[in-house]
Amino acid sequence: MALTAPTTLAHSASRLPGPFPVGSYAERLRARLREFARVQLVGEVWGLRPARARVYFELRDAAGAIPCSMWRSDFEALGVTLTDGLRVVVGGGCDYYPGSHSSSPSFSFAVTELRIAGEGDLLAALERLRRRLAADGLFEHQKRLPLPVLPRTIGVVTGEQGKARDDVLAGLRRRGWAGRLIWAFAPVQDRHAAPQIAAALRDLAAISEVEVVIVARGGGSLADLFAFCDEGLCRTVALLRVPVISSVGHHSDRTLIDDVAALACSTPTHAAEAAVPVDCRAARAQLTALARRLHGHGRRAILVRARTLSHLSRAPRQHVERRRTQLHQLLRELRASSRRGVDRGRGQTERHGLALTRAVTRAQGSDAVARRRTLERLALALAAHDPERTLARGYAIVSDRAGEPLTSAADARAAGELMVRFHDEAIRAEVSG
Amino acid sequence: MTGELSYEAAVARVEEIVRRLDSGEAGLRETLELVKEGRELIEYCAAELDAVSQGLEELRLEELVARLERGAQTS
Repeated sequence: MALTAPTTLAHSASRLPGPFPVGSYAERLRARLREFARVQLVGEVWGLRPARARVYFELRDAAGAIPCSMWRSDFEALGVTLTDGLRVVVGGGCDYYPGSHSSSPSFSFAVTELRIAGEGDLLAALERLRRRLAADGLFEHQKRLPLPVLPRTIGVVTGEQGKARDDVLAGLRRRGWAGRLIWAFAPVQDRHAAPQIAAALRDLAAISEVEVVIVARGGGSLADLFAFCDEGLCRTVALLRVPVISSVGHHSDRTLIDDVAALACSTPTHAAEAAVPVDCRAARAQLTALARRLHGHGRRAILVRARTLSHLSRAPRQHVERRRTQLHQLLRELRASSRRGVDRGRGQTERHGLALTRAVTRAQGSDAVARRRTLERLALALAAHDPERTLARGYAIVSDRAGEPLTSAADARAAGELMVRFHDEAIRAEVSG
Repeated sequence: MTGELSYEAAVARVEEIVRRLDSGEAGLRETLELVKEGRELIEYCAAELDAVSQGLEELRLEELVARLERGAQTS
């Protein structure tokens, strides 16, 4: 902001620049003061004076004092009572109200954080509460609850208007999770929040489908976080049946609900991811890959089994086939051999007959009678060799049913049923021993 | 057999089964049994994944509580 050009009067004796319009100067002063580093101050509170929008007080110590102001809503959210002389720590920075034609200007240290210092220090009080809760074993209970890997229903406690709501949804989306979400909206920024948060948690835990609960809230001043250090709330969380994931979030101070919860996360997005540790899309891909490998093994195993069974089923058939071929071969050889025997016998008989005829022819003539006698003798001798004649003498031919001659007792036993041929006819017989 | 099994435990078991099968040490009978067990587990896991992939359903606690209370009164 530039100051307007000074008006120079001829009779002015001053060497200083100006004069400048005071309002412009006041604006520059405010800008300059706001550039002062934001710090913490420690001192005693004096003269607390609530106004419509802000509360005012002085912070003093032996060496000096500074006026302070704070938004009334912030101050009331702390839930503390300030009395003259109480030592407090305030955090904030310089500010200047430039005033106007009708209102007075004022300088103040704009307080955004305030805690009671010394014996009344809230953090010290929190520390004591923390030790007591730990001694009661309340930090252990939630840690023993198993966190679900793939919950179907998730409960969320958060402010309805806060950014935390969107962050939780973003975290769940990142996991590819699209199950059932139950929102429990509660004030999360004022000192009345604790009982309502506790009630929401109890109600969520009473729904049997809820497998995990997220308590989420964005960042904020420490004063805002006192609700999450409430003893009643912490005891409620500690005794819930469902695991609670807290994401109350403050960069420096840990709230008590963080200690009591099953898991404490720095952001609502992280809390959502912790509530669904499985990336659903990756899990599906992994499952598909496993199923494929399993299927491959199954198919190979079935092929191996089928091959073995087919081999086993083929073996006896092949064996029988082989034996049958051998038997047929034997049978063929047997038949051929007996046929050859018969043919040989027939050939010899024919040759003998031919020789006989020739002899008879030769015998005809001068010595015909003598020759005839010789012929008759020869014929008788020949007839003696005729099998029929042999049969007539009391021998018999034994054959099987097919007519194959049997030449041993063993063959006869094997055949079981026999044909016995006498000189007059053949009869059927059975082997009894 | 998959009644009270967690998704995590089921996936771990399937991985163990596949490792065993990959090793080639399982006999035919064991292979077929492992494949059967693995298939059942995969079906279970797929059903679990399906249950959280049907589309986000958002409910408000106070509406749910009111509904449950109305149900309690009428019953």
